[in-house]
Amino acid sequence: MATTTATIILASTDLLSDELALTTSATLTQTTTTTGVEDTTGLARAKVTSTAKGTASGQVTLYTADDFAAIPYLYIKNLDTTAGNRIYIYDDTTSGDPLQFQLDAGDFGFIPMHGDKTYKAYAQTNPTKIEFMVIGKDQ
Amino acid sequence: MATTATITLTSADIAGDPVNVSKTATCTKAGATTDLDQSTGLNRVHLRNATNKVLLAANAEGNDLAAKVYIINKATDPTLYLTVTINAQTVGKLYAGDWMFFPWSQTDVDADIEVAATNWTSSTGDIPVEYALFHEDTDFLTNA
Repeated sequence: MATTTATIILASTDLLSDELALTTSATLTQTTTTTGVEDTTGLARAKVTSTAKGTASGQVTLYTADDFAAIPYLYIKNLDTTAGNRIYIYDDTTSGDPLQFQLDAGDFGFIPMHGDKTYKAYAQTNPTKIEFMVIGKDQ
Repeated sequence: MATTATITLTSADIAGDPVNVSKTATCTKAGATTDLDQSTGLNRVHLRNATNKVLLAANAEGNDLAAKVYIINKATDPTLYLTVTINAQTVGKLYAGDWMFFPWSQTDVDADIEVAATNWTSSTGDIPVEYALFHEDTDFLTNA
């Protein structure tokens, strides 16, 4: 099985009166086991051209419900460099398409998902580039 | 007053070529290049309940403000997980050692971040959880 590691470093020398230096690494495993995840969509780059949810085209599907066994890990980054050019991620499976996350320019998210919902993205500005990847166990 | 978040995803063998993604985001206020200037600091709680508990309470003014959330399940038993919900929607499940980091969208005052030790019983032991919020407004409250 593959060994995949996700590390985050949160750092600041001046936010607090003492230096912030938090480093955490997680080895990504299949649910309830110590067996490593074995599949990935690979890192994708896409232009989001839709500026509203629910429209027919221009949105980007980040993950399709139940494509992977729980838990799929979603990495997404808004590649835009203009502050305020947000990416909106919504749950396309649940009634009402509830908004889940907003990523401003330069923001990223790393989310161990439940895996049973389809996630799509639309943008505040057409176009906005994103990169994303799902890691887990395909089913 | 810059706070940075750096993510690194690595694997030598999950694909035909190595995966090595490393990106850094500077945590800024919404729609601006001004650095976030407030934080809850790193909090630690022990979950011992299978029902949802509010980890971070949403704020009416938060919808248009930036907030970045870090949560980690510090349990070591790989079967123990916590469910993370926002607005009663499950947005993540953290098994032992897993962490998440995301910009928090407080779309309304019901957008609390809640966590539950979903498969907790009196015999499983508590689930230690650590979390931190980096934000720009003044009156976030935690009541975990």
